Amino acid sequence: MSRSVSTWSYRPGEWVAIFGAATTLLLPDSEKQRAAQLWELVDGGAGFDATLDQLLAPGLSVLPAFVLIGTDEGPTKVIVRGAGVRATLTTDAESVELDGSTVTTWVERTLEGVTSLSVSVGGAGADGPDYLIDGGLVRVARVDHPPHAAPAASGAPEEAPAAAVAAPVVVPAPEDDAVEEPEVGADLPEVDAVPDAAIAADDAATELFSIDEPSPLDDEADTSSVSPPAFDPMPEDGPTPDPSGMVWAPDAPSASPMAPPPPPPFPGAVPAADHDGMTRAGVTGDDVGPTPPGIPGQPQAPSVTRPVATLVISNGESVEVDRVVLIGRAPEARRFTATEQPRLVTVPSPLHEISSTHVEVRPGSGVDHGSAVVTDMGSTNGTVLVQPGLEPEELQPGIAVQLIPGAIINLGDGVTIQVMNP
Amino acid sequence: MRGGSGEIGTLGEQTGQPFVRPAAQLVGERPEPTRRCHPSYAIGPLHAVGPRVTGVELHHGAATDVGLVREVNEDAFLVAPPVFVVADGMGGHDRGDIASAIVVEEFRRLADEGYDPARGPAVVAETFLGCQARIADYDAGQRAQGARDFHAGTTAVVALLIEQSGEPKWLLANLGDSRVYKYNHGRLEQVSVDHSLVQELVDAGTITASDALVHPERHVITRALGGSGSTDADFFVLPLSAAERLVLCSDGVSGMIDDRHIEGILAAAEDPRDAADQMVAAAVAAGGRDNATAVVVDVVGLVAETPYDSERQRVSLEEKLGALP
Repeated sequence: MSRSVSTWSYRPGEWVAIFGAATTLLLPDSEKQRAAQLWELVDGGAGFDATLDQLLAPGLSVLPAFVLIGTDEGPTKVIVRGAGVRATLTTDAESVELDGSTVTTWVERTLEGVTSLSVSVGGAGADGPDYLIDGGLVRVARVDHPPHAAPAASGAPEEAPAAAVAAPVVVPAPEDDAVEEPEVGADLPEVDAVPDAAIAADDAATELFSIDEPSPLDDEADTSSVSPPAFDPMPEDGPTPDPSGMVWAPDAPSASPMAPPPPPPFPGAVPAADHDGMTRAGVTGDDVGPTPPGIPGQPQAPSVTRPVATLVISNGESVEVDRVVLIGRAPEARRFTATEQPRLVTVPSPLHEISSTHVEVRPGSGVDHGSAVVTDMGSTNGTVLVQPGLEPEELQPGIAVQLIPGAIINLGDGVTIQVMNP
Repeated sequence: MRGGSGEIGTLGEQTGQPFVRPAAQLVGERPEPTRRCHPSYAIGPLHAVGPRVTGVELHHGAATDVGLVREVNEDAFLVAPPVFVVADGMGGHDRGDIASAIVVEEFRRLADEGYDPARGPAVVAETFLGCQARIADYDAGQRAQGARDFHAGTTAVVALLIEQSGEPKWLLANLGDSRVYKYNHGRLEQVSVDHSLVQELVDAGTITASDALVHPERHVITRALGGSGSTDADFFVLPLSAAERLVLCSDGVSGMIDDRHIEGILAAAEDPRDAADQMVAAAVAAGGRDNATAVVVDVVGLVAETPYDSERQRVSLEEKLGALP
């Protein structure tokens, strides 16, 4: 479907809808600011992937409910997220319902040959009149493509009459403000690692295996051949909760054949009563949501890379920056995985001016790739950085600064660290 | 733990898996409450390479109790200096006691046979994989006998000495919602981060830490040994000076008494054996809704570091970073 032959209809409501040439984006009322930021992009004809990228840029933990529709060349792509958000896609062969209420992340569908598309986001106005729109930004409760009432003005010659196909959308009463949808899983780094049990059951099994692969210890060749029995999905059994409630949760794959339960507070968590303070395991196959190690808001450091710098410490010690290096009076390493053990470098501090874990130096990622970056870990007395040709600067705690060869990091107590090429 | 050792022996025959440890060496087979103490352990060279530390000793105490509600103690612990473990078995009819005992066995073997202290995280990760494989075998054996949908599982927290840059350090590893705390200069601080649903809700800002204590799903864990979930442990390295006392405990302790209560017990009980006993007794007195297990390890003989800035530093970082995510 392309813009030239497509026109939408909408019913006025509370959400904000941006109709672009290639994509259509719906956001709740609370996301006006985000809508404003994305307006230029979508209106400028940005594609589905580019829009999604931008939508996700602020981070998953703050991702609101939304609907994103790609109607550019090729198959129609739709993502729905949030309570009460529904989309119906109709092709010649089938009619597909997507419901954003049932998942913690989102529901995504790609379909060829879509003849009509209807999205309702709940709230007031769901039963209102339909208005035509070809591009722009309006408040909506529901949108249809091609237009719902299919007035003569709409040019969509090759499309089936819209009224015939777009009708069966029941607008659910919103149980909850869509924006307040629990966003537990949204915190995790891997978006699609939280599959919707109902829609992506097969993916769930795949995810489990890929994640459980003991990659850190690949040299243990036989372990992978031992492990699979633990993941036997046993689809014929299904998760049979023990009457006593004392059985720990079964495999995620075996949970898949079940009808999706009412939205659990957490993907994969078993919504069974806990009778006795018994510890149970969730059925998540993946590591959902723990706060990643390191500094909040900073990208994850790669575990071990080629050395990007050598640190020459004033006590004569020399340290390669090929992984996270933590420097301090008595440094501690917090929450790392088996393959990314940080290097701990203890420096003398007779006056205790240096904090126990004072600074972190690690190989940079993203724009800092290939260089080392230094971060003050919230030290008591601070860190002064002198880069060649620049004025000395006091490091802001938690803010990584790229290091130029020749830079000198001053920790206090007479301890300085010179940054050299590796 | 009743009968647990016998069943493991049977399991070994079923699966053909060799057992290095005789079943009689399983921890926790004694009538509860169990208390195993060794008054002290001087850190000699670790078995393989070994940091050379003199003048440092590890004193430890441990206690476990089935509690007031449960019929079986599915917790297990290991005190085999310099390796310490607490494992909280899950599964009730699915014999979580077997799973936790397997973890203890595997780490006891590690302690007995020795390990390369320079490869700490890899050694522990390999041991976890061994545990995972044995639990999977056990599940498979049970299912072969007709126990449908059989899944034993267990948490694990491990503390062991490793060597880094020629110095001994504590390596801590965590899978699940058992905990490691460090106690220094009268202050208790949780080091491990629970792999639990409520912890993730707290991290996501959905609920507060105090909500977590009463959340109906507070016993749902997101990583464990056994079953299908992730078995990637979190690791932590602490210099010995960072913790004059380490505490490992199951959620039957930390879920029944709060951190302040634990801190008070640790402050008052000079002997780690008394500290462990009192923690478990307090958890039982508070309701004993779950099996309660505590291991307390003191590092004795280090030149004490002044507390100086460690707490201020932590607070400072959180403040400067704008609270928590």
